[in-house]
Amino acid sequence: MSLEANSEAKRFYSTSSPWEARIGYYRAVRRGQHIFVSGSTAADPDSPPEAPRVRYPGDARQQARVTLEEIIQAIQAVGGKGAESVVRCRMFVSRKEDCGVVGEAFREILGKQNGGQLRRVRGRLVAISISAQSCRQHHPLLPPLLPPACRSSTNMRLQAALLAAACISPAVAIFSDEVNHIDFHHALLGAPSSDSTFFLKPSSASNASLLYTLSDKLILGAVNPRDGALVWRHNISRSDSPAGGAGLLRGLDGNNAVVGAAGDYISSWSAQDGKLIWDQQFDGNNVADIELLELEDVTATSDTRDTLALISGKSFGSVRRFDGDSGAVKWEYIDESGDIPFQVSSSPTEVFYISLQSGLLKSSKIKVTALDPITGRQTSQQVLNTEGDITGPESVLFAGANTASPLIVWTDKAHKSLKINVIGSKQISSLAIDNTSGEEIRQITVHAPHKLNSLPHFLVHYKTGSGAWAEVYHVDLKSAAVTKAYQLPYLQGQSVIATSSIDANVYFTRVTDSEVVVVSSASHGIIGRWNVDASSADYAQAAVAEVVAKGKSVAVRAVVLRDSGDWQLIRNGQIEWTRPEALIDAVAATWVEAEEKEDLAHELEVEGHDSIHGAYIHRVKRHVRDLQHLPDWLKALPQRIVSSVLSDEVTNLDSFGVAKPVIVATRSGRVYALDTGRQGAVIWSVQASEQAWDVKDITARPGQVIIDLSDGSYVSVNASTGKTSTHTALEGTKVQSIANFVVSDGSSLVRLGGVGIREDGSPVTPFNDITGFLVTTSVNGRVLGWIESDNKTPVWEFVPPSGQKAVKATARPAHDPVASIGKVLGNRSVLYKYLSPNLVLVTAVNEKDHVAGLYLLDGVSGRVLHSATQAGVDPTQPISSVMSENWFAYSFFGDAIGESSAKGYQLVISELYESSIANDRGPLDAAGNYTSLHSSGAESLPLPHVVSQSFMITEPISHMTVTQTRQGITTRQLLCTLPSSNSIVGIPRPVLDPRRPVDRDPTSAEAEEGLFRYAPFLDFDGKWYLTHTRDVAGIKDVLSRPTLLESTSLVLAYGGDIFGTRATPSQAFDVLGKSFSKLQLVLTVVALTGGVIFLAPVARKKQVNLLWKAT
Amino acid sequence: MLVLIFALLFQLAAASLTINIPPSTNLPNPHVLPATTHATLTTLPQHGRQDHILTTSLTRSSTLVFRNIPSGEPESYLLDIRSSEFVFAPFRVDVAADGSILGIWETFRGNPWDNRGAEKYVVDVANKKTTNVVVEAKVLGRKGFYEERAKFSPLSLVKNPMILLAIVALVFTLGMPKLMENMDPEMRAEFEEQQRSSPISGASSAMAGGGFDLAGWMAGATPKPSPAANAEGTGSGAGATGRDSGSARRRA
Repeated sequence: MSLEANSEAKRFYSTSSPWEARIGYYRAVRRGQHIFVSGSTAADPDSPPEAPRVRYPGDARQQARVTLEEIIQAIQAVGGKGAESVVRCRMFVSRKEDCGVVGEAFREILGKQNGGQLRRVRGRLVAISISAQSCRQHHPLLPPLLPPACRSSTNMRLQAALLAAACISPAVAIFSDEVNHIDFHHALLGAPSSDSTFFLKPSSASNASLLYTLSDKLILGAVNPRDGALVWRHNISRSDSPAGGAGLLRGLDGNNAVVGAAGDYISSWSAQDGKLIWDQQFDGNNVADIELLELEDVTATSDTRDTLALISGKSFGSVRRFDGDSGAVKWEYIDESGDIPFQVSSSPTEVFYISLQSGLLKSSKIKVTALDPITGRQTSQQVLNTEGDITGPESVLFAGANTASPLIVWTDKAHKSLKINVIGSKQISSLAIDNTSGEEIRQITVHAPHKLNSLPHFLVHYKTGSGAWAEVYHVDLKSAAVTKAYQLPYLQGQSVIATSSIDANVYFTRVTDSEVVVVSSASHGIIGRWNVDASSADYAQAAVAEVVAKGKSVAVRAVVLRDSGDWQLIRNGQIEWTRPEALIDAVAATWVEAEEKEDLAHELEVEGHDSIHGAYIHRVKRHVRDLQHLPDWLKALPQRIVSSVLSDEVTNLDSFGVAKPVIVATRSGRVYALDTGRQGAVIWSVQASEQAWDVKDITARPGQVIIDLSDGSYVSVNASTGKTSTHTALEGTKVQSIANFVVSDGSSLVRLGGVGIREDGSPVTPFNDITGFLVTTSVNGRVLGWIESDNKTPVWEFVPPSGQKAVKATARPAHDPVASIGKVLGNRSVLYKYLSPNLVLVTAVNEKDHVAGLYLLDGVSGRVLHSATQAGVDPTQPISSVMSENWFAYSFFGDAIGESSAKGYQLVISELYESSIANDRGPLDAAGNYTSLHSSGAESLPLPHVVSQSFMITEPISHMTVTQTRQGITTRQLLCTLPSSNSIVGIPRPVLDPRRPVDRDPTSAEAEEGLFRYAPFLDFDGKWYLTHTRDVAGIKDVLSRPTLLESTSLVLAYGGDIFGTRATPSQAFDVLGKSFSKLQLVLTVVALTGGVIFLAPVARKKQVNLLWKAT
Repeated sequence: MLVLIFALLFQLAAASLTINIPPSTNLPNPHVLPATTHATLTTLPQHGRQDHILTTSLTRSSTLVFRNIPSGEPESYLLDIRSSEFVFAPFRVDVAADGSILGIWETFRGNPWDNRGAEKYVVDVANKKTTNVVVEAKVLGRKGFYEERAKFSPLSLVKNPMILLAIVALVFTLGMPKLMENMDPEMRAEFEEQQRSSPISGASSAMAGGGFDLAGWMAGATPKPSPAANAEGTGSGAGATGRDSGSARRRA
C-alpha cells in the first residue's frame, strides 16, 4: 500500500537443494536494504537428505569456492550486486590445516577489499555466513537439566540464517516525557565536609562556577549552584584503603582540575566533566594533606597546576610534587625524623612542610621546613616553641592558606590568647581573646582566603554554647605583625562564616538566624545585608559563599551545610534549593498508608462484621456524614475538569495508591518522609536517634511506623508528623534480625507479629501466639527450622555439604499472588506449577573451593527438594537470589573451569513444576491435602520437576527482587540492581523462560506460547532499564509494592541514592496514558457531528430523489 | 627510605594497560562518554587475594588506564568496559606471573573462554617486554532507553480504513450526481437502465421505499408488488411523470 510497506517486504531465493524445502529455510532472504544469506556449504544438491554428500570431498579449497559462488549467486538473485556487496562473512572450518586454502579461495572470489570487515557499499548491506561440512558449536552454559538430545547437528547450517532473527522480547520502556513524572531520584553525595567544599570556576574560559565537595562518604562531586543538580560524582574511597578519616579536596580558580585524597588514594579530576586526569595509590601510606601549587614557575606549560601531597607513612613523612597533567612525581622530600607529618603549605616563593615534633609530656612543637618549589630541596627549618599549647594535630586551629602570608594559628589551653605565626618566620604573635559573652568558648575557627594575590587578612570565629562573634585581623607583610582590624558583634543563635575573594579583595559572609551579611575584610562597613529566615533546629555547621561585586553593591550565594548534612543555597536572602544529603545510606524504608484510607478501611471492616441492618444503618450514616464534603467537592469540580484536560496524566492516579509517602531511616539515625507523588520531596525529617543506630526492621502500621533496633528496643514514628517515641527493651538482647509473621489477606498483608532472631539463629522468645514456623540462618552457616513453642532447639537443621556455609536464605515474598496454577502450552495442555508457600532457597558457598550450592528446602520439614552446585564461583562478588511463584533465580560470577566453559557473570533461572508431563499433577493428583512431615506415603510432599537455564550477563547483580502487583496477573519483572553501571534493570519474565528451545527454532506451538530460541548471552535491552539514563548509585535494597492498579507496581530503591518509580511490566493497560489525547477525542467527536450535520440533508435529499426515481 | 624508592621503582616497572576509545560510527565523539564510564578487569580470586577486580575511570583523553596490574600468578582477566549508554566488546587479558601482559583478545560472551576472537595484542617474546600496552576499545552499539510515543499525524488518520471508507462514501455521494450530470445523455440513460436492473440498486431502491423483503431479495426473488409497494407505486408514478415532464422540458 505504501512505500514503507514495500521496502519492508521480504524477498526470498531458494536453490534446488532438497534440504531447503525439507527443513524449511531459504538460501537468501532480503528485507529492505539487507540481504541475509543462510549458512552454506559445498553440499551436493543431488544427494538425498538422508545421506548428504559433499562435493569435492577432501578438497577444502574447492569446497570453499563452490560455497562462495553459490552465495554470490544467491545475493544477485535477490537484487544484490554480488561480491562487492558483502560486508560480513563468517567461516567455519573443521580442520585447522584448511584455513590457508580456504582463505585463498576467499580472496580469489571475494577479494581483499571485502575482507571480513563491516563495510557499507552504496547503502546496501549484505550479511553472509558460510559454514563448512561440520563445525563445533559450544553452549557452555547449556543447563544440566536439559536433555542432551537438544544438541542436534542438523541445525548447524541454519545457524547463520537464524542470526538474523531478532529477539522478540516484550520491551516496556519509560517514555521520555514521563521522566520525573512517574519516577524520582535523589542523587546524593553525603554530608559535605566543611573544609573540602568550595565554589570554583571549572575552567579559565567559563564564567559560571560549580560547587565542589568531598562528602563524609568520600564521594567527590560537582553540583550546579543554579538548581542543586548533580553534575558529576566519583566515589574516591578504595575498599582496601584504611579508613583514614575525612578526605581532602582542593581546587583553584581557573585550573581545570580538582584534586581529592582519601586514605592512601589521591586522584585528580577534570573539574568540568569529572573525568580522570591522574591517580596514585600509596599502599597503606595515608595522604595527610594536599595543596595545589598556585605559583607559576618557568617550567609550567599547561593550565593545570601541580599538586603537592604530604604522605604520612608509619615512620616517615614525604612531600611530593606531582605533575598536574600526568601525575608524575617531579620531586620528593622525605622526612625520616619521626615527626608527625601535619600539613603542606606554599607561599609565592616557597613550599612549607609542617610537622609536629613530639616534645616532653605529650606536648609537641611545630616544625616548619621550607622547601624549594622547583627542586624540593630543604632551604631552611624552624622549630616553633609551642610546648604546653599543642598536644597533637587537633590543637592546631589553622595552618596554611596558600596566601602571600601563610599562617599557623593555635591557642593556649584556656582559650585566653590566640597565637599566630606567619609561616617562614620565627615570630609568634600572641593576641588576647576578648570574650565578653560570659560563656565558655566551644569552638574557634579561622577563615582565610586561599589565593596567592589576596590581601593577608583573616577572620577568627568564636562560638560559645548559645552564640558567636568574630574578629578580623590584618597581617603586615613586611614585619609579619598581626593586628586586629574590627569585630563582628556577638549574636545569639547560629552563626557561620564563609570567605570569598574577588581579585585581591577578601569578603566575609556571615549567615545567622535572621540575616545574611557581607563585609569586606578591609573595613567593618556592611556592604550587603539580606533578611532571611534561616533559623532551624538543624543548626548550620559551616558555609561557603561566592560574592559577586556589582558596582558598589554585592550579590552573594551562600551554601549552608547543616548539622544533619543537608545543604541549602541562599542567594541574596532567598533559599534557592535544599539537598537532603543525609538521605544517603538509608538502611530501611517502607510505604505508609495515608490515615484517612485507614479510617475508611476500618469503617468498612465494621460494616463487614455487623448484622445486615446494623451495617445498612452504619453505611447510610457514613454517607450522610460524607455529605459535608459536598460543597468543597462542588467547588473544586470546575478546576478538576480543567486540570484533567490539561494535566500530564489523563487520570489522577493518586487515589489508586501510586503516590504513597515513603518513610526512610538512615544509618545516622534520621528518619525522613518522602512524597513519592511530588518527585520524592521531603515532607518531614527528624533525628530519631542521636547516634548512628542499627536498624533491623521497619514496619508500617496504620498512621505510624515502627523501627526495630538491634538491641531489642524500637522507635515509633508518627507517619504524618514525624513525632517519635522510643521504647527501650526490657532485656537488652542483641538481635541479628527480626522475623515478621505476615499473612496475605486478599491484596493486603496482615502482620501477625514479629520475633527477634539472635546471632546463632535462635528466636529470642517463643512465638506461642502465632501459628507458624520459622527458618533462620546462623552465623556459622547453618539453616535452622523452628516451630512456635520452642526457641531452644530447632525442629530441623540443614548443614550444607562439603564445607559450604549458608550465606543467604530467601523465601517467596509475603504478597505473591498466583493468577494461574498452571502454564498453558501451545497445544492447550497444561504444565502445573509447583506452588508451595513454604519454600526456602538457601545459598551456600565454600570460599576455599569457590563452589556455591543452591538448595531448595521445604521450610516445614527442612527436606531438600532440589539442589544445584556451581563451580568456579567468586564468593567475594555478590551472589544474589530471589524466589517468586514457582520459580527462582540467582546470579554469580563464574570462572572458566573447564575446556568449554565461559568466564563472566551468570544468571540462572529455574522453574518448578509438579510433573514433567503436561496435564499431569504428579503423585498428588487427586489428593486434597498433603503434608511435609511424612517423607513417604501417599500424602507426602513430592519433589518438583525443575527446569533451568542459565544466561551470561554483562555485569554483576547485587540485589534481586520481583515486581508485585495486586492480583499477580501482570507479567512479573525480575528487578536487578546493577552496581557497576549504577542502574536497575527489570528483566521481563518471558525472556527468562527456562523452557526456551536450545539449539533449534521454536516449534509453532512453542512460538504460540511465546518461547523463542535460547541464546547463552542475555544482553540487557536499554528498554528494560527502570533507571533509564539516571545514575542511581549505591543501591542496597529495592522494594516493590502493589497498587490498586493491576498493571502498576511501585518500586523504591535505597541504600545510597533514593530512587522511586512505577513499574508496568505488561504496560499500563488499565491506565489512560499520556498518548491518550482528550483534545483529539473531542475534536473527532466535533468533526463527526459536523459531518453528520452536513451530510444529513444531502442524504435526505438523495433518499427523496430515489423515491421519486423508483419505478 | 629504601623501601620507598623500591616502591617507586616498582611502580614504574609494573606493566600498564591503556585502552583507547577511538571514534567510530556508533560513537563519533568519544568525549561525550559520561564520567561514570569505567573499565574492569575481573578474575577469580587466587588464595584470598583482594586485588582480583581492578577498576579504572575514564580519563579526559578518552582512555582507560590500568596501572600496576598485580603480579604473583599468571591470570586471565575479563576486561569489561561499561558506560551507561554505549556497549563495548569484552576482551580477554592474559597476564604473566610478573604482571606483564601476554596477550589481549576479543572474547564473546556465552562462548568458551578458549574461544578467542580478534587478537588485539600479543607479547613479542623476542623483543624487550613492552611495559605499556595500548589497545583500542570496540563500541558494539548504543542502548535506547526510551519508548517512542506515537506522534499524531494526519496521514495516520487517513490510513485508518474506517476513515477511508467514509471518504470514499463521501466522494460517491457528492461526486456521483455531478458525474451523472456531465455524462452523455444516452450513456446516462443506459447507465440508469443498468442500475435499475442491477440487484443492488434494486435493493437500495426497495430499501428506500421501505417494506423491503430482505429474505426474498437474498433468495434472488424479484420484488413482488405488495400492497404497501402498490400504495407507493402510485406516488412514485406521479414522481416519474414529474421527472419525465422535467426532462422533456429540458430536452425541448
